[in-house]
Amino acid sequence: MNIIVCVKQIPDPETPAASFKVDEQAKKVIPAQGVAPVVNPYDPQATEAALQLRDAAGGGKVTVVSLGPDSARDAIKHALAMGCDEGVLINDDAFEGQDNFQTANALAKAIDKIGEYDLILMGRAAADWDMGVVPIGVAQALGIPAVTVAKSIEKDGDSVKVERVLDDGFQTVKAPLPAVVSVSNEFGEPRYPQLRQIMMAAKKTVEVWSASDLGLSPDEVGEGNRVLPLEALYIPKIESNVEIIEGESPEEKAATLVARLREAKLI
Amino acid sequence: MDFGLTPMQEEIRTNVGRIMQRFGEDYWLARDEDHCFPDEFTDAMAEGGWLGIAMPEEYGGAGLGVAEAAVLMQTVAKSPGAMSAASAIHINIFGPNPIVVFGNEEQRQRWLPPLIRGETRTCFGVTEPTAGLNTSSIQTRAVRDGDQYLVSGQKMWTSTAQEADKILLLARTTPREECERPFDGISLFYADLDREHAQVREIPKMGRHAVDSNEVFFDEMPVPVGDRIGEEGKGFQYLIHGLNPERILVAAEAIGIGQEALDRAAKYARERVVFDRPIGQNQGIQHPLAESWAELQAAWLMALQAAWLYDNGQPCGSEANASKFLGAEAGKRACERAMITHGGLGYARELHIERLYREVLINWIAPVSPHLILSNIAEKALGLPKSY
Ligand SMILES: Cc1cc2nc3c(=O)[nH]c(=O)nc-3n(C[C@H](O)[C@H](O)[C@H](O)COP(=O)(O)OP(=O)(O)OC[C@H]3O[C@@H](n4cnc5c(N)ncnc54)[C@H](O)[C@@H]3O)c2cc1C
Repeated sequence: MNIIVCVKQIPDPETPAASFKVDEQAKKVIPAQGVAPVVNPYDPQATEAALQLRDAAGGGKVTVVSLGPDSARDAIKHALAMGCDEGVLINDDAFEGQDNFQTANALAKAIDKIGEYDLILMGRAAADWDMGVVPIGVAQALGIPAVTVAKSIEKDGDSVKVERVLDDGFQTVKAPLPAVVSVSNEFGEPRYPQLRQIMMAAKKTVEVWSASDLGLSPDEVGEGNRVLPLEALYIPKIESNVEIIEGESPEEKAATLVARLREAKLI
Repeated sequence: MDFGLTPMQEEIRTNVGRIMQRFGEDYWLARDEDHCFPDEFTDAMAEGGWLGIAMPEEYGGAGLGVAEAAVLMQTVAKSPGAMSAASAIHINIFGPNPIVVFGNEEQRQRWLPPLIRGETRTCFGVTEPTAGLNTSSIQTRAVRDGDQYLVSGQKMWTSTAQEADKILLLARTTPREECERPFDGISLFYADLDREHAQVREIPKMGRHAVDSNEVFFDEMPVPVGDRIGEEGKGFQYLIHGLNPERILVAAEAIGIGQEALDRAAKYARERVVFDRPIGQNQGIQHPLAESWAELQAAWLMALQAAWLYDNGQPCGSEANASKFLGAEAGKRACERAMITHGGLGYARELHIERLYREVLINWIAPVSPHLILSNIAEKALGLPKSY
């Protein structure tokens, strides 16, 4: 079974709030000093799923793909250390500032270039923007089904059986292969690479593809060609006030509280 | 000159950091209270292959250098695990070095793979009640009896002896009076810690309760000649071969603990509001913390330089000693400053600072004291008369 896993390197979600800054003019997040980027926490789960499915199928290949800066190589190396077979980094300055749709498009092109695949796995969302649209975008671009937020994945002949996490329960669906499945944290803990695997991964070469290697033209990529233009980027100001509701009796306090909540349009 | 960590060292930090995250502060506080060895943690480290980081590849190790081992130990100690975590695996990381360098092939095959897999546990029997820094004064005797030795005497402070099935043991094979130089006549063994002939008694101590330290009494404990490392009488030379790496690792651990304490202090100083402002806005609070940051950073660079020298086959005695000295002082001071930054809460067990402080003091005292380090640097680096 041949599987492609897409992984993303993101700013560390544990970055202290005080160190999180944006450049409102440039509409960019300013990387926090001294905080190294990390692998998106859902992606090792997608990688784990890929490895389990490959091994259950008794063979095949898992290829890791990441679109990002040169440092995203680390995210790929981590997946290789976990046991993936090959790695591809999609890296080009031309991608700077582009949106999720453009990224999905570029990933789809890379997946096409890799060629043979039965399944594409991704994390349910990237914990930086938390939008979770890239899996669907990739499926759309490739013209194959997308199943999101998976808790378990099972190959069943020419299809996959996926248990999805919903707000109020679980849903089991079946999709013909090839398909895109996004994996949720409910899948379970990913494996920890062993030191020997880390060393082997360190020796593996990661292929690097540019925009032109993927047949993307300059008028498709980068900030200037966003599908979803970014109007403004800012950290919302959160103000909190405390108001103690006074009153003679509990009933009176409750009535005043209800009135205040109505006034504030909270109920 | 490249001051950055290599990609491999970065990987070590990330992956070991992930393992450390599985063992939270509650886990380590509970082990400190119930005095139970952190088996789950050592199992996880063995499973990941980390115990063999500096052991040769042909025996199941990773064949990496002291620099990598230092990054490993600094990452382990820069966690709520502190020395409870570090000491639980410390001996595995560089302790077997005399076996690697001076053991024969049969011994290496027999001893190293199970150690690296975490199947055997060993301890380190050097210190005695009357022989601390003056190692040549050891009195534990190994008397030849046919194809074995019989070991009698007493060791002191032997850490992890409660769990260990093996002991790297230094004993006299020739009485000191009969030797030309005090360091002659000492032999090194890697022996079964045979409970029939070795009584292990735990020493109640100030901290690091998860990892025991003991008095060990030997009564004619038989050790086959085949368990002696190298030649008879040369044990002390074999032992000192591994001392520089050990100092570097002890430094890395102290620095890790200091950084953990400092991170906690800085977080608290940002959040705790007294007199309508975060306490960290007062220079009386922020300057000592900034000073600790600088001290820890400097000690870390010293440790990495010493490791680099060792890994490149160059002499590193003074550098390794200096890193242990600076690392322990910086780590200790960072814990002290973290405590006063937390005010009364610094003294409460649930905030972990007092535990970090109790644990970092080990790195200050052992395996070599600041006095002896300075005496050694004075002699070796400055050419002053030997004072000890
Ligand atoms: C928690 C813990 C765990 C340990 N684990 C182990 C272990 O696993 N295996 C093991 O073998 N040992 C272990 N040790 C022992 C440790 O290595 C020794 O305590 C250390 O070497 C110091 O020896 P000592 O205690 O006998 O001090 P001493 O040698 O008695 O020294 C006492 C004090 O006098 C000072 N001093 C002595 N001579 C001079 C001089 N000439 N000039 C100036 N000052 C001097 C010393 O610096 C020290 O401050 C452990 C110790 C501790 C606390």
